[in-house]
Amino acid sequence: MTREDAMTAVGTVKGPGETPNEYLFIAPDPERRVKHGEFVYYLAAVDGVERAILGRVTGRRPVKLFPDSFLADPSVPPASVAALLGYESDATELFEITVTVLGYHSPQLGDFINPRVPPVNGAPVYIASDELLTEVLSKRRRGERGSAYIGSLLSRPEDAAPIVLDVRGFTGTHLAVIASTGSGKSYLAGVLLEELMAPYNRAAVLVIDPHGEYGTLQEMMNLREFSEGDYRPRVRIFRPDQLRVRIDTLTLADLHYLLPPLTDKQYYQLRRAYQMAQRRKHYTLEQLLQAVREAADSKKAPQNFEEEEEDVTTMGLLWRLNGALRNSHIFHDFENLELNELFRPGQCTIIQLNEIDRREQQVIVATLLRRVYQARMDTAKGKLERGDPSHLPYPVFCLLEEAHNYAPANADAVSSDVLKTILSEGRKFGVGIGLITQRPGKLDSDVLSQCMTQCIMRITNPIDQNRIAESVESVGRDLLKELPSLSKGQVIVSGASVNTPVLVRVRRRITQHGGQDLDAPAEWLKWFEEDRPAAEERAAALLGDKKIHYEDDGDVLLA
Amino acid sequence: MMHRPIGKIVKSNSHVDYVCQVYNSGETPHPPDPTDYAFGGFVAAELEAHSGVALVGLIYNTLLMNPEFGSLGPRLSPRDEVEIFSPDYLAETATLLGVICIGWFDAQGQAHQGVPALAATVNCPVRLLSTDEIYAFHVDAAGEPQLRYTPLLLAQKHALVAPLLMAVIDRLSGLFPHSRNRLAVMRNNLAWKSIVQPAR
Repeated sequence: MTREDAMTAVGTVKGPGETPNEYLFIAPDPERRVKHGEFVYYLAAVDGVERAILGRVTGRRPVKLFPDSFLADPSVPPASVAALLGYESDATELFEITVTVLGYHSPQLGDFINPRVPPVNGAPVYIASDELLTEVLSKRRRGERGSAYIGSLLSRPEDAAPIVLDVRGFTGTHLAVIASTGSGKSYLAGVLLEELMAPYNRAAVLVIDPHGEYGTLQEMMNLREFSEGDYRPRVRIFRPDQLRVRIDTLTLADLHYLLPPLTDKQYYQLRRAYQMAQRRKHYTLEQLLQAVREAADSKKAPQNFEEEEEDVTTMGLLWRLNGALRNSHIFHDFENLELNELFRPGQCTIIQLNEIDRREQQVIVATLLRRVYQARMDTAKGKLERGDPSHLPYPVFCLLEEAHNYAPANADAVSSDVLKTILSEGRKFGVGIGLITQRPGKLDSDVLSQCMTQCIMRITNPIDQNRIAESVESVGRDLLKELPSLSKGQVIVSGASVNTPVLVRVRRRITQHGGQDLDAPAEWLKWFEEDRPAAEERAAALLGDKKIHYEDDGDVLLA
Repeated sequence: MMHRPIGKIVKSNSHVDYVCQVYNSGETPHPPDPTDYAFGGFVAAELEAHSGVALVGLIYNTLLMNPEFGSLGPRLSPRDEVEIFSPDYLAETATLLGVICIGWFDAQGQAHQGVPALAATVNCPVRLLSTDEIYAFHVDAAGEPQLRYTPLLLAQKHALVAPLLMAVIDRLSGLFPHSRNRLAVMRNNLAWKSIVQPAR
């Protein structure tokens, strides 16, 4: 939208709306410029200074339309019926537009200030120019330190009004990306990661990637867009077979969670054994098993029949511990993923959890989060020396895909507690969390409400919509109504990283997108074109002159 | 140039609603043409007692007086001979104009829109306003058109008020081309309410 377009009034103020921060204006809008979600403004004097009071269009009601009877014949335009009667003007429509006032933007406060007085009746209303919106909607300018350019305003042409998130906002007070499958949430996460790793951010990021779809981010290391001077982002991928969790970092709750169901006696004995093992700084599985046996010995009762029962308890517990820990390549006596290898400014670490059992995934995430939170606390309090593998003298950001698996609603997961702790208190110690989920209805509501920046994409499930409405306060009801109608790559961004909720068209990724769906028909056709002739050739070579005949029931005949 | 009188005030229905009888051939050497007293025409009634003061009105209705109407029986005198035997009888047929008073020119020639304090008297002559006078009657100090008598017209609840106002606006659009947008808003509103909405 050019400045000249923006200077032409689109409507005239009618008066106050239903709520104190709404007003109504009347517009003929023949060119349909006053779209739902569009930003408009009126001019008003505030404390002696003329200000552009910005607002968002949230409703549109026709107040003048051709009578229904004029629309009786689809082949006859109603305007021609009116012309027949003598009404020849093209002024045939009039709309009452509801606007929710945001206020005028104060660069000092970096926020909108609502004048709390409705506009005067008859005041002209203008559509905000691209320049004005670029200036006031985002907290940061594109490319500056702490900025994340994620796309542009949906109601404007591509790139006309860029939307730039404040990285400090979402890494400090957490981020939630909520979207149903296929609406582009991984793509958006990729865009965010690209921005975090750009030379103007150089973040220390960890990505929990249960589907192995973020591997393409490695391209960043070789792309010119991401390098500046001697800076070049590093992307480290930890594949499932490289993951290690040292056994002595597991808590009693982790052990209890990993093991098959325990009896009360077994749990009691495990707790005693765990406490005994904890007396050492480090211990191995064998030492833990030994502690279980010792715990049993110290409890031995004099009667023989009870002794037998104790043995059953001990044996069961040993069997369970061996089954869960000895046969897993993840839980290890000595090796661990060291924090200073995982987190480093300018490094994006991707933990791929595909092919790993759900419970093990949860334990891996729980131990990692617990360790990083503890490390940040200890570093902040000066308990860790420089050179210690857990010494983390910089804030970190963890992005969790399929977050509903790690903090499910109405279910118990070992990772829930630590996630909730970090979401409520991580801000103080510089541990930021980004949650990505396609089922907000399955995500713990406390977890969702702690994320102060929200990126919400298409959601059609009513349960999920309700959960968003309950947990996300910053998005108005008018915007939530848009959720089912959003297209792929369109996102509502709200909360601490933007000045006001905005509808955004996500920008193109610089790196390849790794989370695309498999094109099954194309693969099937490819088999006919390439693989099958090759297979037949091989078969022919093996069988010599014999020909293959397929019978109706699938049997193969050689002739 | 001032136009010749087209008739005289013969009756009033209210302070602003007058009946003007159009001069016929016996009353003036130049009887007016029907185009002179067409619907929507602006007229002036000079007040004899107040020199220079003229009420300004709009022709909103036309009525034909015909005493013969309803006398369906045969007449002794043929129509052609009535003029010879009863000349006064012909004088009883008349064209009456409904004129609504929408303002006045004061003694200094200053135009005022609205209800005048003074009323016209019986037999007060009525003449058409010239284009210059129509312009002078409607222009304000800033050179913009004014239609302050619109509420007065709308309050009459007369069936012909909407077409009357539209005719006035069309005329003013020619006189005030720079204000056509404003006049068009008013005209579209009237047209919508009087044409499209009743056809609902």
